[in-house]
Amino acid sequence: MEDHIQNLYEVLSKVEGYVYPNEIELNWSILIVLYPYITGLVAGAFILASLERIFKIRILKPTYGIALLTAFSFMLVATMPLVSHLGKPLRAYEIMITPHSSSAMAIFGFVYLWYLMVVLFLEIWFDYRRDMVIWANESTGIKRFLYKALSLWTTDISPKAVALDDKIGYIVTVIGVPSAFLLHGYVGFIFGSIKANPWWSTVLMPVIFLFSAMVSGIALVMLVYIVLSKIRKQLLDMDCLDTIAKYLFYILLIDFALEGLDQIHRIYVAEESFEALHKLVFGKLFYSLFIFQGLIGTIIPILTLGTLQFYKPKPQIRKVIYMILPLLVLMGIFFMRWNVVIGGQLFSKSFYGYTSFKTSMIGLEGYLMAAVWLIIPFLILAFLLWLLPPWKKIETNHD
Amino acid sequence: MPQHIKRLIGVFAVFILFFLVLQQVLKPDSFGELGHFRAKAIYENSLRPMHYTVADSCTKCHKDIRIDKDLGFHIKLKCEVCHGPALAHSLYAGNFKDKELPDSLTLYKPGERKDCAICHELNAARIKIQFDTLNTTMVHQIDVLTHHPFDPKTKVPFKCIECHNPHQP
Ligand code: HEC
Ligand code: HEC
Ligand code: HEC
Ligand code: HEC
Repeated sequence: MEDHIQNLYEVLSKVEGYVYPNEIELNWSILIVLYPYITGLVAGAFILASLERIFKIRILKPTYGIALLTAFSFMLVATMPLVSHLGKPLRAYEIMITPHSSSAMAIFGFVYLWYLMVVLFLEIWFDYRRDMVIWANESTGIKRFLYKALSLWTTDISPKAVALDDKIGYIVTVIGVPSAFLLHGYVGFIFGSIKANPWWSTVLMPVIFLFSAMVSGIALVMLVYIVLSKIRKQLLDMDCLDTIAKYLFYILLIDFALEGLDQIHRIYVAEESFEALHKLVFGKLFYSLFIFQGLIGTIIPILTLGTLQFYKPKPQIRKVIYMILPLLVLMGIFFMRWNVVIGGQLFSKSFYGYTSFKTSMIGLEGYLMAAVWLIIPFLILAFLLWLLPPWKKIETNHD
Repeated sequence: MPQHIKRLIGVFAVFILFFLVLQQVLKPDSFGELGHFRAKAIYENSLRPMHYTVADSCTKCHKDIRIDKDLGFHIKLKCEVCHGPALAHSLYAGNFKDKELPDSLTLYKPGERKDCAICHELNAARIKIQFDTLNTTMVHQIDVLTHHPFDPKTKVPFKCIECHNPHQP
């Protein structure tokens, strides 16, 4: 018997009720879960950085550079899960070469490029230019060459030039905030605009994606900051951490409220898809939605962070809390993406049946591949932190 | 304008120029001839191997089965629905009359209970039809777990095809 028939028989045994033939197998797998996840981390980390820069929340200073570099290293990999998900990855560039204006994905290519080059790259460049010029003179060998090349062999570090850098950097950040909103709102839009799918099709989707992005990005920077300080044997700046936690708390609350609103809307409107979705939520998505995303990823962090706003235990205890909470939040947001991407494909658009999701460990679309795309950004981040250590920069006040 | 801003603008200009050149160079050659796609894609797809044949092609060699089937309830089912894609088989099996078929030409024979259940298993989502209608556009449903699961005396599990002829159920 031929392979694909064998496969079909196997898959059919996982189907419940009636599904259309093209719904049996999930086309969007774990890698497509990673794509909004990683993009969200970028947008969130950048917004945390801009809190310091534009909104002048000086206390966040220790995380400014880390947040930018984190955003940059995750941005470099953001499209890789998509590319490795393709049947023909080597043709991926064609989306940029022959874009069609009616293709949401093709336009994303340009939104991505804009954000990477015009926002992240420029902001980091202007922020580090003076330091790179100085470091180039202090170091030797390959590192010296890297600094020279990165600063485009410029040498002008007069106060006037530096002031100009600062000004342009500020403008770039101001452009960057709406761009970050656009970037991640756009990812939500890609899902929200699929009107055939009642689990995705809601105008709230871009907003929900945006806020969950901020939540995950802030949590990630918090974690990176703590781990980095541990590695460098530096004292943690507790005031800074408390402030980040405060923002995490607020945004988590908004995110929770928005998602609740979305569900309330869905429950009240109760369109014909409602019963199918109801069964989905309490069946195949029960653990990932209520337990992982809801309880562990949202409620517990909200309660803990909320308590911390009134009652502050000893720094030692807070440190531990600040280590664990970001992990919970990051996991919660991962499952939020999971519930959207995988959940949206588990039920039949006839509303009469369900299919199931199965991924193997290995292979281009397996869990290992997904793990690879989650680890590589950290390696890039480690490299960037080695090359452009924010703690060795000359103190500047972004005023 | 300070020197470093000039250089930066230069770098961006080079980058954009490079992109525009790449766009011209990498554009697939038959792109846009017929629309917003590669015209050659149609030709390339026509070269892909076929798996299925036409419904009538089995009749040439399996006339008896064809006649059987057309007299029974499974008249509407094409042979390949149950036996799988059979283009290669219908082209080359003729060379193996009264001999063992090679592996590449054997077809699946769906004789297990689960095979028939794919279509006949009780399914709340499908419209149920009454016991004795002769309407062959919908599928009669049985509960595979309770419909003659095994021989009452020996307790040996039954296959569906021990009672129903798959070609003329
Ligand atoms: C050119 C003649 C020819 C054609 C056309 C043909 N077959 Fe066969 N088929 C054979 C021969 C010969 C055998 C092996 C000997 C036998 O069992 O009669 C065979 C055997 C089979 C078997 C049994 C295989 C096994 O492993 O025991 C099936 C099932 C079958 N054919 C289905 C089909 C179907 C379905 C079609 C139409 C798509 C078809 N055949 C078209 C000649 C043909
Ligand atoms: C409902 C599904 C079904 C359809 C439709 C069907 N078959 Fe079969 N066929 C079977 C099963 C099940 C067997 C195995 C019977 C057995 O093992 O005794 C089989 C066996 C055969 C065999 C092997 C002969 C034998 O007795 O072992 C041939 C040849 C064959 N089918 C040809 C055809 C052709 C030709 C058609 C279309 C006219 C067709 N079948 C349509 C289910 C089907
Ligand atoms: C591809 C779907 C399909 C498969 C597989 C299939 N059948 Fe059917 N079967 C039908 C259809 C369609 C009818 C005609 C509508 C009806 O009468 O239920 C039918 C009718 C029948 C009937 C007559 C029901 C009646 O009206 O009394 C029986 C018995 C039957 N099939 C048995 C089997 C057995 C045994 C198998 C496994 C070898 C099988 N079927 C595999 C689709 C299928
Ligand atoms: C012990 C013999 C036996 C076995 C094994 C058997 N059946 Fe039946 N089947 C019958 C008889 C007898 C009838 C007609 C009366 C009845 O419904 O019990 C029937 C009826 C049917 C009908 C028509 C029901 C209706 O509502 O008109 C279908 C469909 C059917 N069988 C499918 C299957 C399938 C599929 C299997 C394997 C999972 C199977 N049968 C196994 C004896 C059997």
